[in-house]
Amino acid sequence: MTVTEVAAPVLKELEEILGPEFVLTSKSARINRTRVPAPFPVHRWSEYVPALAVLPQTTEQVSEVVKLANRHRIPIVPRAGGTGLADGAVPLRGGIIVDVKLMNRILEIDPEDRTVTVQPGINMLKLNEELRKYGFIYPDDPASYPCSLVGGRIGTSGFSLISGRYGHTRDLVISMQVVLPTGETVVIGDGGGRKIRKSSTALQLKHLFIGHQGTLGITTEATLELVPRPEVEFSAFFGYPDFETALFSTGALARCGLASLAAVILFDEEKVDYLRRDDEAYIPQPNDMRAVVATAMYGTRDEVAPAAQRLLRIGQESGGRYLGDEVSQGDWASRHDRYATPLHGRAPGGQVVPMCWHCEDAAIPYSAISRVREEWHRIVERYVERYGIFDNWGAFFYTNSAYKPWGDYLAELDVGIWEQKLDDETWAGWVACKREIAEVAIKHGGSITSCHGATRAGDVDLVPLELGGAYEVMKTIKRALDPNNVMNPGKYLFDDAYDCMTS
Amino acid sequence: MTDYSEPKTAGTALKDAFVAEWLDAAYGCFSSGHKFCREVCPVMQVTRNENHTPTAFHADVVAMEQGQVEVAEIAEDFVHCTQCGACELRCPNTLFAGDFYRHRTRTVDLVKAVRAFAVESGVEQPRWKRWVEATVERKNEPVLEIPIEQERVAEWATGLNLPIGGATILFVDCEAAFYRTSVPRSVAGILKQAGVEFGLMREQWCCGGPAAEMGYLQQARTFAEHNVADWRSLGARQIITLDPHDYITFTEDYPKYFGDDFDFEIIHVTELVAQLLREGRLRLTVPIEQTVTYHDACRLNKRKGIHESPREILRAIPGLTFHDVDHVTQWSYCSGAGAGLAIERPEIAAEISRRRIERAAELKVDALVSACVWSERLLSEQGTAASPSIEVWDLAELVAEAAGIDSGRVNR
Repeated sequence: MTVTEVAAPVLKELEEILGPEFVLTSKSARINRTRVPAPFPVHRWSEYVPALAVLPQTTEQVSEVVKLANRHRIPIVPRAGGTGLADGAVPLRGGIIVDVKLMNRILEIDPEDRTVTVQPGINMLKLNEELRKYGFIYPDDPASYPCSLVGGRIGTSGFSLISGRYGHTRDLVISMQVVLPTGETVVIGDGGGRKIRKSSTALQLKHLFIGHQGTLGITTEATLELVPRPEVEFSAFFGYPDFETALFSTGALARCGLASLAAVILFDEEKVDYLRRDDEAYIPQPNDMRAVVATAMYGTRDEVAPAAQRLLRIGQESGGRYLGDEVSQGDWASRHDRYATPLHGRAPGGQVVPMCWHCEDAAIPYSAISRVREEWHRIVERYVERYGIFDNWGAFFYTNSAYKPWGDYLAELDVGIWEQKLDDETWAGWVACKREIAEVAIKHGGSITSCHGATRAGDVDLVPLELGGAYEVMKTIKRALDPNNVMNPGKYLFDDAYDCMTS
Repeated sequence: MTDYSEPKTAGTALKDAFVAEWLDAAYGCFSSGHKFCREVCPVMQVTRNENHTPTAFHADVVAMEQGQVEVAEIAEDFVHCTQCGACELRCPNTLFAGDFYRHRTRTVDLVKAVRAFAVESGVEQPRWKRWVEATVERKNEPVLEIPIEQERVAEWATGLNLPIGGATILFVDCEAAFYRTSVPRSVAGILKQAGVEFGLMREQWCCGGPAAEMGYLQQARTFAEHNVADWRSLGARQIITLDPHDYITFTEDYPKYFGDDFDFEIIHVTELVAQLLREGRLRLTVPIEQTVTYHDACRLNKRKGIHESPREILRAIPGLTFHDVDHVTQWSYCSGAGAGLAIERPEIAAEISRRRIERAAELKVDALVSACVWSERLLSEQGTAASPSIEVWDLAELVAEAAGIDSGRVNR
């Protein structure tokens, strides 16, 4: 669909709902809402251009826009920060982008019941600047913390780096106001009360409306958890002579049972090599340090001080060498800024080229990490050699479970992609590479994605394989809630649900 | 295959040259896509429009290369920038890999380049066009309704008996020369009291910076050539600026125009005053019984890394209670006055200023001290409207008062 296909009367209706200045039809407004930071087939840009974008400010406006879309059968794509890595906010059928960035108000801070209610366009860093005055934080801490927005965190069911102590987005959202695909507005939570954390009333819908990538509606308000601002942040980095020792140590640290432990993150040898590419900025350690484990604790001084001592002991007794306060504190403090640097991209000859970052984010049981890592690197090396525009940036393994940081891990394999060189052949090669990577995750009892969503080509093809019968249930739900298939159509292959219906 | 049979139009050649110059820089951002710049951007904080982000500005270049847009379709977006430089500092490419790769994200230069490309392509913004035309006609910016005339450019100095010429020249910005005249009067008084010898220009034209920021390169160059010729004719070696915008123009634009021939030493007055205080050549003895905070002028703090000297000066003022806000926190602050935003989109600039005053109000201060005369008109308007109201001082005015010099300041 192109802008000319949103007929003039529809445009007029939209302008009446939102005010003309909040209906954006310019070419630049449209092309700048086509992509997210994930690798993008630049040469096929025009396929993803929406018809127009709207910037609503109220739930009522969102509801009216969705109702209009149903009347005219126009696709709707919700977009918050556009910082996701699974293309949730990328339109596949044109249509109307509902860009919620102007819905960024804090509606209520409730210190007594420990909640904050916000609109979906607010950023966590900005929210925490306000909460600081009250002695609280909202502890959702993705790598994109300085730029991602609450609405997108909900839409993708995001991963928080400090979830071992505080939980992930889905654990931190208490309730939401959601505009359904047909335009009705409902409250979704645990039970009916907006500030109730646990209820057994009827079916539990909260998880259904977190992580749907905009296919089941648009969150227009969210009531979130507040936690006391931690008195202490403690981080410790350990170095190891090889990956296997570091993996063993990771398990020992993650299973330690200390409640203030927020994260254990393992950097494999390829990742450390990648970080060392710039020679000085990252982890300036001797060459015999080939793998690294980062840990972080948060809490009161009384909790963290003794726990930190025990954590240091476990790290050292399990084979790690403490890398010192400067690396530990400095690298942890800059964790958001360092998650990928396009300038570290290298063509096969060693030439520095700006590369886009692909971040594979499977969830993998601890016991399978070693095998998955080996297979993944073999796959990527094959594609690096064959196409000459990919680059292996190594892997991270993060504790994945909320509150109990053990058991399974977010396994992040990073691959640089030289976007300027993409054409149909190399793009198809990339999709095939992704598919192979995802297949390995499923084969070893994992999940394709822990944090971004499995909506991209290469991943999405395998969703039915990963979910089996549960995927059929999802299609039934999608069809029931979105009879006209207007909410982010094409995502998660949910079009199949409608094909079944017509056949 | 490129079809060489069709001769390229002038417009296509212009576009090709522009894309060739900026494509690598654009991919540096496009491939990153981190968008950490967004929440520190003063304009984006207000409009929340993704087209106005540094990410979009860089993506537009890639889109141009891919044939997705023409300059006429993006020019209006590029109005939405104060050229404060926050996005460059917050960019991970600059922060963590910049030194090693000798890479710096240059959004400000990109915005200037796109604006210039637009003007050259005949795509103009109406208010900027009128502003630059008026500046060309009058030789100084039309900062007031009253006639701006070259004869009146030094009227602010009436009664001060300042000489013309000398090795050191005080360059007085248009806004200061015609509107907030207490700023140059304060600076002149401070320099005289400290025994710094200086003079004024024979004929001081606009520095040309605003025209360059809006994309009018030829006009900017004409101003620069006049001013440099005036300096040379006076035997000047050293130029003191009291406005951070001039400081940027003289240290970044003029060297590009004149190359190695541009051998003047450019000093910003806050650096000089801090030095005079350190050397004991200036003494501040009159207590100022006020509680203040400092507004880091974007072009000093974010663009030039000058954030220590203003604080040093404020701490030297007797009686003053100074509630400081860290200069890195202030990366996301701005008055909205820069790069013509206040001319072309006054409502956005006013909202940026209102938010800046709101932050000052949270500190329960009587006054906000700035070191950028362009910020002061907008901030004063919002400070007056606030309840309780917040005064806006220029740092030089405050120093003058503390040194027992009548700054002639009118609170407005």
